[in-house]
Amino acid sequence: MNGQTKKLIGPIQLAMALFVLITSASAVDAQYLHPKVTKKETVIRNVIILPAKVDIMRDSMKGPEGMAAESEQLSNRVEDAVGAVLADKHSVKRTTAAALSAQGDQQQKYNLADFQTKFDELLPKILKKKSDVKKGRFSMGDEVLNLNLDKSVDAIVFIRGQGKKLTSGKQTFNILFGGMPAFLKMQIGFVDAHNGEVLLYTDPILVGDPTTAVSRLHAALEKGFKKLAP
Amino acid sequence: MLTSSFISLFRRMVVGLIWISFMLPLVTAGPVRARTKSRPQQPSPTQASSPSAAGENFKFEKADLELLEQVNLLDKRFEREGLVFEDDAANALLKRIGEVLVPRSEKLENVTWRFRALRDPQPNAFALPNGSIYVTTGLMSLVDNESQLAAVLAHEMTHVVRRHTYLQNRSNRKKFLAMNVIAAVGAYAPGGAVGAAITIATAIAPLIVIATIFGYSRDLEREADLKGIDMMIKAEYAPEEMVNVMKLLNKDIEGENIRLFYNDHPATDERIRYLSNYLGARADKITSQMELNREQGAYFQKLEPIMRHDIQLAMNSGRFRSALYLAQRLAGFHPDSENVFWLAESYRTLGPRTAQLTDKELTNSAKKDAAKKREKRTLEEEERDLLATAGGQEEAKAHQQKAEELYRRALGLDNPAPVAHRGLGMLYEKQGRKDEALSEYQKYLDLAAGAADRERIQKRIENLRRPAP
Repeated sequence: MNGQTKKLIGPIQLAMALFVLITSASAVDAQYLHPKVTKKETVIRNVIILPAKVDIMRDSMKGPEGMAAESEQLSNRVEDAVGAVLADKHSVKRTTAAALSAQGDQQQKYNLADFQTKFDELLPKILKKKSDVKKGRFSMGDEVLNLNLDKSVDAIVFIRGQGKKLTSGKQTFNILFGGMPAFLKMQIGFVDAHNGEVLLYTDPILVGDPTTAVSRLHAALEKGFKKLAP
Repeated sequence: MLTSSFISLFRRMVVGLIWISFMLPLVTAGPVRARTKSRPQQPSPTQASSPSAAGENFKFEKADLELLEQVNLLDKRFEREGLVFEDDAANALLKRIGEVLVPRSEKLENVTWRFRALRDPQPNAFALPNGSIYVTTGLMSLVDNESQLAAVLAHEMTHVVRRHTYLQNRSNRKKFLAMNVIAAVGAYAPGGAVGAAITIATAIAPLIVIATIFGYSRDLEREADLKGIDMMIKAEYAPEEMVNVMKLLNKDIEGENIRLFYNDHPATDERIRYLSNYLGARADKITSQMELNREQGAYFQKLEPIMRHDIQLAMNSGRFRSALYLAQRLAGFHPDSENVFWLAESYRTLGPRTAQLTDKELTNSAKKDAAKKREKRTLEEEERDLLATAGGQEEAKAHQQKAEELYRRALGLDNPAPVAHRGLGMLYEKQGRKDEALSEYQKYLDLAAGAADRERIQKRIENLRRPAP
């Protein structure tokens, strides 16, 4: 390995990081719809969005640091943004999950928590073969009916997200030596409120500081729901 | 051209500075010395321990306070997300044991003791540095008596008292910084043989750094085990129950304890060995209070509701063998009760799976293969694949028979639980016995007027009544 080759490593690392991001970003268009949705046998007009679970961390030279308060704020923001994009671009009405937990007792709180856990357990399987959503392979079972949602609700929306924000030191380091920029990657699943089938899965990504990039968040979500009927 | 020359010069300056800043501490302190310095002292078997002394002397740094703020928010998050099990008896028991282990008079800066049960069927426990100790319902259901639960708490409380999370965080921060510096150095190493050597060194260095992170974590775990034993003796809990907890954890009912290249805890066998050595003759000194704390009946009596809750959680998350194991224990303890229903449910949901894993299935490589399959297949697909085999069909048949027998037994008890009709309905539906399923579902709906799952069962009835296409 000569000196010239060595000097190329830094830019190569940077290019690799950009490549990963670009390829991930291209996955935005890869939304997966259940055949019932594509054939319009199931029309999503009213959804309930369960509390989003978005976790971000601060990446510094001394390693990752938790951002619990910011994660909570961002979870609410993403939840609202999903609701807004669905309403504005796809005429989908949103029922708030707050109303659901308010009507219930401790058992209802546990039910909600168990559904969130169930989605977390199903998610890795979806991620292994996202295209199988198009075959109608994934389901959360008829336990969804135990949530006793309003009959008008067509789908339950689950939102997960992971992101990172860079400290200024780490940002400078990345410019000089290469590395992943700040980002937010989301996983959003729509589950049929009547039988538990996964109707839609999409994983939009935004590049940039997830705590401040509000307009980019909306743009990423709009792209993420592109295939959903207007 | 001028710009690129300037960037190149600037990069060389930065690399030079990094080289100097990285090499200097290595030359002056040496990595081995630096590591041993940060390792906690291993207590000798005879050494009298005073765990809280370390906590009192601890000086908080900015990074520690930031971490404290994060974990305080984590506590709130667990509550908000419905992960904390709100059961008065379970929480009171945890609190009482915790207070016996560390008396209220022993105050630690930035520590408020809170003991909580976490709704998770996987046996586990963890401590947050602010004094919040979480024990999963899976672990509370697995242990045999109060002393074993005390062993878990003593271990976790040692992490708090000895400020392990802060120490680990401080240590990790230094190591991450070193890793970043190494990465930078590797990216701009000069050419030739020296460059190649640096490239190899920088490629290996992160692995060494990661190994030291895990190594440090294992040291802290070992310290928590040993100090935990001291805490138990002081509070009159039989110390060998710590060893028994390890043996229980070693059971690996689900075949999920996979040994990886890096592990943050010592291997369970190793823990059993060093704990037994540390205990030595002290294991023989059993007081009457210690005997009392080892009583299984009293423990099961208090924790029956939490155990039932955990069986449901285990079934929800596909931990069918654990559900059966716990239901068998509960039914053995209190046979003519609702526990019979839980045993029936466990057999029904176990379906074509075997009740216990074989020795072959418990080898590390077999467990790794099974974990890969679990990642890909849904539970329904796993069941379908098993039912395609003769062995799976046999298991399913035997388990269905047992379940039916147990549901019937549950319905024959005084004040039978209506859910047994629901269970029978589900069993018959699976077996294709439509009419019987319909009848059982209907009985359930008639008896459980306010059940939360009425809509689900009504829908099942509708589907069963629908003529086949």
